[in-house]
Amino acid sequence: MSSDSPDPSRSGLHSESATLGDASPILDSGSHQVEGWVTASPPKFLEVLQHVFSFPKLLVRHRDLITTSVRRELAARFSGTLLGWAWPLVTPILMFAIYFFIFTQLLSVKFGDLPEDQKSAMGVFMFVGILIWTAFGESVVRCTGVIVDNGNLIKKVAFPTEVLPLNQVLVALVSMVFGVVAYIAVTWITPLFGLHIWEPPQWTALLWALVLMPLQVMFTYGFGLMLGTLQVYLRDTLQVVTVGITVWMFATPIFWTPELIIREDGTRGLPDQWAWVLDANPMYHLVYSWRDVLMSREPAMVFHQPIETSIITFAYWAVGSFVVGYTFFLLARRRFADEV
Amino acid sequence: MSQNAIEAEGLGKCYRVYGGPMQRIAEGLSFGTYTGHRQFWALRNVNFGLKPGGSLGLCGPNGAGKSTLLKMLAGTTTPTEGRFRVGGRVSSLLELGAGFHPDFTGRDNILMNGIMMGYSKREMVARTEEIIDFAELGEYIDEPVRVYSSGMGLRLGFSVAMAVEPDVMIIDEVFAVGDMYFQKKCVDKVYELKKNNKTVLFCSHSLYDVRQLCDEALWIQDGAPAQIGDSVDVTNSYSSFQRTHIAEVKHEHEEEQAADDKAAAKIGSASSQILPRVLDARIYIPGTDEELYQVGTGESMEVRIWWVNPTPDLTPIQLGVGFFRPDTTTVAGVGSHIDGHPVTGESGCTSITIENVAFLSDQFLIAVILFGGEGTHQYQQYLMRENLVVTHKTKDVGMFMLQRTWKDRSELPVPDDAPAIREGTVGSQADVPVSNSDDEGGVE
Repeated sequence: MSSDSPDPSRSGLHSESATLGDASPILDSGSHQVEGWVTASPPKFLEVLQHVFSFPKLLVRHRDLITTSVRRELAARFSGTLLGWAWPLVTPILMFAIYFFIFTQLLSVKFGDLPEDQKSAMGVFMFVGILIWTAFGESVVRCTGVIVDNGNLIKKVAFPTEVLPLNQVLVALVSMVFGVVAYIAVTWITPLFGLHIWEPPQWTALLWALVLMPLQVMFTYGFGLMLGTLQVYLRDTLQVVTVGITVWMFATPIFWTPELIIREDGTRGLPDQWAWVLDANPMYHLVYSWRDVLMSREPAMVFHQPIETSIITFAYWAVGSFVVGYTFFLLARRRFADEV
Repeated sequence: MSQNAIEAEGLGKCYRVYGGPMQRIAEGLSFGTYTGHRQFWALRNVNFGLKPGGSLGLCGPNGAGKSTLLKMLAGTTTPTEGRFRVGGRVSSLLELGAGFHPDFTGRDNILMNGIMMGYSKREMVARTEEIIDFAELGEYIDEPVRVYSSGMGLRLGFSVAMAVEPDVMIIDEVFAVGDMYFQKKCVDKVYELKKNNKTVLFCSHSLYDVRQLCDEALWIQDGAPAQIGDSVDVTNSYSSFQRTHIAEVKHEHEEEQAADDKAAAKIGSASSQILPRVLDARIYIPGTDEELYQVGTGESMEVRIWWVNPTPDLTPIQLGVGFFRPDTTTVAGVGSHIDGHPVTGESGCTSITIENVAFLSDQFLIAVILFGGEGTHQYQQYLMRENLVVTHKTKDVGMFMLQRTWKDRSELPVPDDAPAIREGTVGSQADVPVSNSDDEGGVE
């Protein structure tokens, strides 16, 4: 029961609506406003930047919309299915099983000079990589299509369109967190039964996850906004993205590590002329930071830079991606309703 | 506040039509130096102001730009030229049930739909019961929307949009939903909004609704405002425009038919000469030779029918005139056999003067019917070339203007066999105060 409005059917709405700001629905849907007038001129660049940096305000104002629609999206995907909430785990586990089998059993890929008791390193290494990559890859592909797919809604209901891709990113993040929690649980529980899969992550390392997750959402969201906007004007985008994401996945050390490559001089690691490819790949920094968090640092050769360096590099990428993607989106949004 | 709730200045919307994706890319890469798209102006030069508590109805044919205007004001699309201002909180009903997810229950969808329109979860939770009551979906409210009938979905959509009380309500052509009972509820709800000083912008093909719900109307024709003003005046002009337009189309159609008729006449020429037939029929201002196809309620008109009857002895005739609504409802019919006016001779012109036309605003098709002697057999139905448009300036409702007199006759007692008042019946709130006042009356 709401205590502050004794008769919610009468007073509840207006008391709150007044504080929301009168013109907010229109501003949210992409029109340009000057002193209450909605004009035909496109928004000025500075105003767009201002809008970009007041994004947290938008999050607060539309928190109900975001939480409700994320919950609904999750429910739509998993409730009513036989496996229900186990589904977010099925994809990473299945992918992990397939790749683990191919790489370690069929192709006998070995992890450098790992001691015998760390044989499962490659498996855990892959699993964490797949978990993080799936959240990113799935978000990006879904974000690319989400604006066009909701065309009718955009035409008929005035609401902040940027919520649509954000939902996709958050839904994928929730699935990923499921996987992370399940992984931690397994590393805790299995030793009780005499099985040793991997050392449980240290609690101090897990604090880094609280930094990584917002950065990951920012990066993915900015990227998704940009592609979703592009898809409105150029429908080839989704095809390109679908292929591009797969290429990118194999270019990122998910199923391989640079240490598996034997250079011409017999040492292991990525040849020097290709080193920049990894360094310039934001997902490399993200995936490796996550591995650092979740796997502890034992197989040292896997982590050749401190986690702080990777996180800072990724943070630049995340902020850049968000600012560029959101600006692009805001500039292009005016014509969404006409194009979708 | 004296400020207008909605103000539009030179508002226009242009859609770009691209030849293909390459053209779009070329345009994007040229940074404005190349424009390959075709422009399509859906709407231009719309100017109006609407005071808080005012109501504006939009009318006009399909594709005139009505929905484009509403979309701009609702904020789902942006103007290409001009500007507008909407004061206060806007709620729009551009499409009923937009945003409903078929797999979720009606209750879930109420919540989601409201939140999407910008209301907080708490507000929506507080309103849910009210919305469910209004939609009258019963137990279906906890079923997934996918199992709803289309009428039920529309009812739910309307209920959600109406339950949240905006300052400005924008409604696009959604009244034709549900059964008559629900339609009335919807109209009542809009009246209620008006009474609470909310501003209503409303688009409908039903000129009746526009006239009833709105003080002012805007007629949009081919992407430009044709007339704005008092809703009765504007709807009258629009319907008389429509009549001319329909007549033109019909005329073309008739010419084709005339050619067919000629061919048919050649084959059956022998018999067609013998049978009686109507040559022409027109409407005039009574006593003059000035034709008239648009009359106001309460005015008079004269229908003249020219006919031939080569063999009056063998085939005695009677004449009838029927007035039909476009949906073929017979509104009125008169006949010479009913009134006992003989139609004799081999040819002639019969005139029927109708004093004080009682129809309310509508469009009527007029058919002259040539009956056989006793008014049973029909020789011919002659459809008049032009439709009759009746317009009225009062707010009367229905099909006819009733002559009436109102009086206060409180001295008359309540009849003894008046229906008993049932107390304690569910939902009949009105009964209680009525019974009280009756009791008091009895004491006095």
